[in-house]
Amino acid sequence: MNLVRRVLVGLKSLLVGLGVTGRHMVRPAVTLQYPHELPDVSRWGGPIELVTFPETGTHDCIACNACTRICPSDCFDIAGVRAPGLKKMRATRFVLDFSTCSLCGLCIDVCPTDTLKYSAHFDDAAYHREQTMNDLLAPFGQDPYLSGRLQ
Amino acid sequence: MTFLHQLLAGWLGDFGATLLLGAGMILGYLTFNVLFLIWLERKVSAHAQRRLGPMEVGPHGTLQTVADMLKLLSKQLVTPLATDHFTFLFAPILIFIPTICLTSLVPLGDAQAFAEMPNGLAVVVVLSGVTVIAIFMAGWSSNNKYAVLGGMRSVAQVVAYEIPVLLSALSVVLIAQSLNLREIVAGQHVPYVLLEPVAALIYFIGITAETNRAPFDIPEAESELVGGFHTEYTGMRFALFFFAEYTNMLVLGGVGATLFLGGWKGPWVGSLPWLGPLYLLLKAYFVVFLMMWARWTFPRLRFDQLMNFAWKLLIPVALVNLLLTAVVLEALPRP
Repeated sequence: MNLVRRVLVGLKSLLVGLGVTGRHMVRPAVTLQYPHELPDVSRWGGPIELVTFPETGTHDCIACNACTRICPSDCFDIAGVRAPGLKKMRATRFVLDFSTCSLCGLCIDVCPTDTLKYSAHFDDAAYHREQTMNDLLAPFGQDPYLSGRLQ
Repeated sequence: MTFLHQLLAGWLGDFGATLLLGAGMILGYLTFNVLFLIWLERKVSAHAQRRLGPMEVGPHGTLQTVADMLKLLSKQLVTPLATDHFTFLFAPILIFIPTICLTSLVPLGDAQAFAEMPNGLAVVVVLSGVTVIAIFMAGWSSNNKYAVLGGMRSVAQVVAYEIPVLLSALSVVLIAQSLNLREIVAGQHVPYVLLEPVAALIYFIGITAETNRAPFDIPEAESELVGGFHTEYTGMRFALFFFAEYTNMLVLGGVGATLFLGGWKGPWVGSLPWLGPLYLLLKAYFVVFLMMWARWTFPRLRFDQLMNFAWKLLIPVALVNLLLTAVVLEALPRP
């Protein structure tokens, strides 16, 4: 009798299991078709990048090195020159070694011109350590202050 | 089709033409079937886990398996040094032959089966037992302990599960009073699954075990035996084992549909005979879908649990069911 009960209970549990997968089979998928669909990155904190301000169309880094000093992992390599006829400095080199960056965000907090932010990049990848050196000035091209286009 | 047959009969004679056309059609369809079933398996597994599965090659990934097959065809065939060469090379071919023979036996319509045999069901049972020899050959000749273990498990399992399959098929034979597959279908005014639900269930469990599929896939249990009997096989030789597994699923599903679900019978099949093969395929694929559904739901059994299940539960229940069928049939007035 015990055996019969065990068999019946087992059979029922198998049917319940089939029911669970059966229900899931007709529900919509929860996965993302990655290269075609991208995730919502509005709250994502990716590698640090320079802000583009809409008024000037460029960043506002004055090469003050506040970020270099506060960075716990010594990620930054920044150089700057004083533009002709301009009071403030302009960055000529801004390289972030992302292989040591811990994304702590201290540089963002300390930046006096608010020109640092977390980017929305979530799928950066590299084969070599050299490729993790992010040149943050690269997207900006020639500096409009240094070329005299902006005063 | 008739025209082609006449054309070939001019060269090869009537028998040769039928043989060539039949073999060509069966092999062609089986190739398509394997590509379709692997795609279906991946889709069923994906949707059971709320994924989408292959989506990139072709619409909804339908051509994914074609791409996979091309890749497997182009791969290097590696034969390990210490194998038993002849057996090693022969096993993937041998595993295939009984399945093709089985396909030709299943009646596709009222008068259509590539090879009709008076005692077809007996041949089906015998042939489906041959597969295990090929699996054991593969496991033994690989000279790899995992492969041998997989092969031995497979033998023990198939030998155990062959019996309940046979017994449940026998209860159908008792009702139909025939071993001829076509007559079994012709006699089914109601699908036998309604008359013999227990036998149908046992048959389903048995064929799942015979095709070495989860939850009975211990011959190739990845977590314990790497790949089981096909550990040492590469490229197209490995693909042949895959091919055989999925073909076997369709064929045993088709035999199951013939025995329990009314084979080629269905509405309007009397006036439109071409519906017969379609109904049979639909029913066979339904059985295959059930097997896939079960695979992606149930965990794998331990080996002793598996053997206990066959010897201590399935075989006694199948025997009692057979006995009850016989008693009821004797008690009923003969038509």
